[in-house]
Amino acid sequence: MRALLFFALALLPASAVLADTPAMVNQGIGSKGYVWNRLTPERAEAVRKKGDVALGQEAYRGCRGCHKQDAFGRVDGIYPRLTGQYASVIIKQLTDIRAGLRLNPKMEPFISFDAITVDEIADIAAFLSQATTIKENGKGPGDQLALGESVYVQKGCVKCHGSRGEGNGEKLYPALAAQHYSYLLREMELIKTMARGNSHPDMVTSLREVSPNDMEAMADFLSRLPDRRQSVAKAPGK
Amino acid sequence: MIETGKVSAQILRPRRAGSGNNATLILALAFLASALLPLAVRAEDPPNPVCTACHNEDGNSVVPDYPKIAGLDVAYFTKQIADFKKFKRVSEIMGPIATQIADSEIELLAAYYSKQKRISGVVTDQNLAAKGLMIYAEGIVDNAVPACGGCHGEKGEGANNFPRLAGQHASYTNTQLLNFKNQVRNNDARKVMRAIAMRMTEQDMQAVSEYITSLKGE
Repeated sequence: MRALLFFALALLPASAVLADTPAMVNQGIGSKGYVWNRLTPERAEAVRKKGDVALGQEAYRGCRGCHKQDAFGRVDGIYPRLTGQYASVIIKQLTDIRAGLRLNPKMEPFISFDAITVDEIADIAAFLSQATTIKENGKGPGDQLALGESVYVQKGCVKCHGSRGEGNGEKLYPALAAQHYSYLLREMELIKTMARGNSHPDMVTSLREVSPNDMEAMADFLSRLPDRRQSVAKAPGK
Repeated sequence: MIETGKVSAQILRPRRAGSGNNATLILALAFLASALLPLAVRAEDPPNPVCTACHNEDGNSVVPDYPKIAGLDVAYFTKQIADFKKFKRVSEIMGPIATQIADSEIELLAAYYSKQKRISGVVTDQNLAAKGLMIYAEGIVDNAVPACGGCHGEKGEGANNFPRLAGQHASYTNTQLLNFKNQVRNNDARKVMRAIAMRMTEQDMQAVSEYITSLKGE
């Protein structure tokens, strides 16, 4: 009995340490009780803060080594463009990585609790959501765009991501339009295999029904849609 | 500063002994004061001789083991001296020296050296520097090493707590990268430099160090 108590006491600090390092434990998709848009305490805090664009531009300096000075990423899709994404989506993705929900080992040291504060996350999100880059993004071969569009519509992607790939910031659906082709393709593959970690379960179900060729066509179609803000400007009635 | 004080005292003593003239005494005291207070100065004046012995008066050291400190941002300079003093950044040479620098002097030294112009170095291996340019500007995508220029500036000019790298002695930059990789240098507050260096090979470090020495920072 005494030995048991000792054992239990010895375990106590160890489990406390584990609880402090959320990135070590995958609580993402596939785990029990997973909710794709669960409002983590940190995300709630970041959303509550009013992000400051000027401070965000300063804090963004730490991101430029990969996502570039203009936040346009790389056209080869190794790093995504960030300009024009919704602040809410950027906050969700960044805080989800820290919460061990989205799996992104490449980015982990740069988004760790040592590397960046929750205030900086809010500021960076504010900065990126208003940043504009007028530049050619990475696109696919362009030979199956009609197919890409029909898959996008048939699989019901339009319901959340919109007919122009504009997404919905309030509902945390990312804008997809004018994102780099290879990045779109890679993330769809990661979502399909549940390796992205923090996806909407419906995304997994839908993408499992899409053939590799159809996925390429869809990514190509999305990469060629205009930036969501250009879409809005062209259709003031919406 | 301690040494300067001794020297001026030696100069002063014979004068004092040889003359009862008040004017000479005042002159001597003025001389003593100016010699004793090399740090109670404006940022334009020459700095603490303890610094210049290794880093040169303009902050461009000529010995590769000693870094060029000309043009370092005030924020970065101040943090490094503070870290040396607390042995948070460990250096057998700089640690004990830093403990001799009073907190009140750091600000003046930082201001002085931030105003000095960094002189770039000479590339001895062009092929290595060309490889280094790729890393500096584009990073190493396979190992998720960010481009150095992202934080340290395209020309190596640095900003705030991201130090100016331009023109630094290649061997010094290389040593620092190795120290970050081997956790010998642990004073990067955000732990980002350690994480980056751990993703780099020794060849990567040599290449990027060789390129950095060619940068002008403008």
